[in-house]
Amino acid sequence: MAVAWIGDRSVPVDDAARKAAELLAASLCPVFSLDTDVHGTRAALALARSAGAVCDQFDGAATAREAAQYTDRGGLFIAPGEVRRRADLVVIVGALPAHHDELIAEFASTVPDLTGKDAERRFFLVGDDAKTPGKAKAVRLACEGGLEAALGALRAQCAGRQVTHGVSHFDAFAEALAASRFPVFTFCGVFAGALALEMLQGLVGDLNRKQRASALHLPASPNGWGSTLVSTWTTGFPLRTGFARGHAEFDPWRFDEARMLAEGEADLHLVVAEDARQVPAAPKGVHMIALAKTAKPVAGAAVTIAIGVPGEDHDAVVYSSRLGTLAAMTAKASGELPPAAGILRRIGENLPERESLPC
Amino acid sequence: MLTRVAGGEIVDPVNGRLGTGDLWVEDETIVPPPTGRKPDLTLDAKGCVVMAGAIDIHSHIGGGNVNTARLLLPEHHKAHAPRPGATPLAQLGWTTFETGRLYAQMGFTTVVEPAMSPGAALHTHLELADIPIIDKATLAILGNDDFLLSMIRDNASAAMIEDYVSWTVASSRALGVKVINAGAAAAFKENVRSFSFDDEVPFYGTSSRKIVKTLQKAVTGLGVPHPLHVHCNNLGIPGAPDTAAETMAAAEGLPLHLAHLQFYSYGSEGKRGFSSAATRLAELVNTTPEITIDIGQVMFGQTVTISSDVLRQFTARGSANPRKSVIIDGDANGGGIVPFRYSNDFFGSLQWAIGLELFLLIEDPWRVFFTTDHPNGAPFTTYPEIFGLLMSRDARAKAMEAVSGRALKLTTLPALTREYTFEDIAVMTRAAPAKLLGLKDRGHLGPGALADVAVYRKGGDIAQMFRSAAFVLKNGELVVEDGAVKKMRWGRALRLKTTPDKAMVKRMEAYHQQRYGLSLDWFDFPDSAIQREQPFGEVSCRA
Repeated sequence: MAVAWIGDRSVPVDDAARKAAELLAASLCPVFSLDTDVHGTRAALALARSAGAVCDQFDGAATAREAAQYTDRGGLFIAPGEVRRRADLVVIVGALPAHHDELIAEFASTVPDLTGKDAERRFFLVGDDAKTPGKAKAVRLACEGGLEAALGALRAQCAGRQVTHGVSHFDAFAEALAASRFPVFTFCGVFAGALALEMLQGLVGDLNRKQRASALHLPASPNGWGSTLVSTWTTGFPLRTGFARGHAEFDPWRFDEARMLAEGEADLHLVVAEDARQVPAAPKGVHMIALAKTAKPVAGAAVTIAIGVPGEDHDAVVYSSRLGTLAAMTAKASGELPPAAGILRRIGENLPERESLPC
Repeated sequence: MLTRVAGGEIVDPVNGRLGTGDLWVEDETIVPPPTGRKPDLTLDAKGCVVMAGAIDIHSHIGGGNVNTARLLLPEHHKAHAPRPGATPLAQLGWTTFETGRLYAQMGFTTVVEPAMSPGAALHTHLELADIPIIDKATLAILGNDDFLLSMIRDNASAAMIEDYVSWTVASSRALGVKVINAGAAAAFKENVRSFSFDDEVPFYGTSSRKIVKTLQKAVTGLGVPHPLHVHCNNLGIPGAPDTAAETMAAAEGLPLHLAHLQFYSYGSEGKRGFSSAATRLAELVNTTPEITIDIGQVMFGQTVTISSDVLRQFTARGSANPRKSVIIDGDANGGGIVPFRYSNDFFGSLQWAIGLELFLLIEDPWRVFFTTDHPNGAPFTTYPEIFGLLMSRDARAKAMEAVSGRALKLTTLPALTREYTFEDIAVMTRAAPAKLLGLKDRGHLGPGALADVAVYRKGGDIAQMFRSAAFVLKNGELVVEDGAVKKMRWGRALRLKTTPDKAMVKRMEAYHQQRYGLSLDWFDFPDSAIQREQPFGEVSCRA
């Protein structure tokens, strides 16, 4: 079975890794887009450091927004297990990606067990796009102007301020809030903009003056959040970190992979993806190195190397939104495809005058 | 490989070796002087002090809360390349890589991360595995977790509690157990805003005292070498000396370690209601032999406070500098990240002076441990300056000129003339930590010991001497020369060798299924998940 290609030509993996290293060495501005597990990220960061590349999450705008919530203002957050066991009021803020449906349905099908006998869990939805969780009843809080406006109005109303357009069903919410021992607001950067996220944390902060409340981070991309954590301990910064000047620099605008490719800054794009169908076409003049689960070369890629899916084809460590931390996953089947980490290290071993890799 | 460290001033209090001589190392081990063999490598240690590698028992170097602090403060570490010393946090050692490099350059070879959430053990160990050169270890946090509090409420047997503690230590790969503001995180979730030693945790009806006593008994019963490591209630509050004194009294003859005592040594006297209670607490430590403490020395400058004492950190949010913080309600303790700048105003000066008072008033260097509670009191990179202050009253006198005179008047510091000797330093930072943690293979330079060796070139500037070791050997390898890392290697995380009771494993499986809807597998991990060769080293329990 072919697992590596230079252009459309099937080659041994070592040849493909050598070619990828040549392209990286010749590149003036390489950019990496990641959708991988913890060890893939560790290896990608080490390679980026050696090659002077930029590392970003693949399609990483939402992940960057979520990271900005920490880097720019901080906030109050809660572990998912604690939500299941303690939250008697869950407020779903905006739409959530489908990969969180199972967790939300679990909240809807269980009741908190740490808040006394006969505890119930009630649900509210903020904005027009938030979905009702499973079969549970939920009351919608919305107003003209979208999610940001709804959160702004809700925060103002909770603080007893006058608003011109209040959210629907506020009185019911105020009553539920007063009765709640631990309300939790869910959020995700996919459909909530930076201002919405900031307003939400402002609301949670306000509530904590008199009662407890917190916010549950449901990441836009679990792999993206895992890579954010790894990048942070490895470089001191979340993703959108570059090594062009020999040390790590963080700049969420400058090192946005989509912008760098669209504006012609990058001349090489290394993509690590679970599925080859995710890999975008390379812009004109940009060499692409594609690492993805595939049985054929990725269209337009200068080098394609097939890799396994973390946790399916090989053991992995991934971010689990269910746990709110990193978790070890055992492969579902013993696949023959190698992990991204191994391939990235092989590329690094072929870089000329390679510096010693710190990780 | 045979190495001779030649002609240095050996300071090895454990083996009574104090004086000029050679030290011989073969591969990873210190050996007696060989007969008729020539060394493969000779390190000229003339004019140098030779000690065992230093051991830090309490430094927040990795894990979820530490990483959240990095995430919260990107502006404080724009690069980990060398930066001007005046840049806030520039020398903090912010990344895992820099943490290992900077510790090694100061001659530290083992560092304990003292606050690992058992539920996030994999994250912590992955970070620790990326800290090069040094060995690491962790303390698992218990005392705000539902399982333990429920067992105490339901009068579970001591044996069952021991089994649970043993399972936690084993599954999280910890070296010991820490309790942080026992019961307060659970109480805070019920909107309790202050919590003392005899207050009851809502829902569980048990007190902080009972949690501490229960864990102390379990840790002692299991033969965990390190005594229960206690972060007391009421940290940072004027009046906290009463809490610290109550906690010491509760030791009742069994070993107990109190962390960062400086933060509990604030009296409430004077116009500002803030004074030093160092003399009172030092006297208590001096007269309570079962107690050990570490200091948590404050030094001036920017830092970030990182603590699993979520109630205290929530209360401290208003003093955040810069004005942002993170508070996490975790499955048990959670945590809080609050950046802070210690200035030499009245309050900061008093905190600085109180730490030094404790260092100088506690008489037995085997029971007082050298920490800044990194980064809470100061980054670990300030250690060399603190060594200078402890070893030279002239250095202290000079430093006192730059702090608040009104604060100093409330302390005994100006009158203290004690100067630590190299032997005291070797006890406090090598021999005593090894004994406290049960690490028989290190902390001394006797034949058979692990060849972790720090060689410092003597000179007038004590801080400079400890900042840049002349040579450091880790497991016998020369890793630092003239204050710079010469060779990279990966250390191990030291964990306690303990086998969890099978019945407890079954019970934990049922608990996680019932309460979290998840198999216990989600909360455990194989060693191979770390993806390093031999990521762990094992330490035996006491017989």
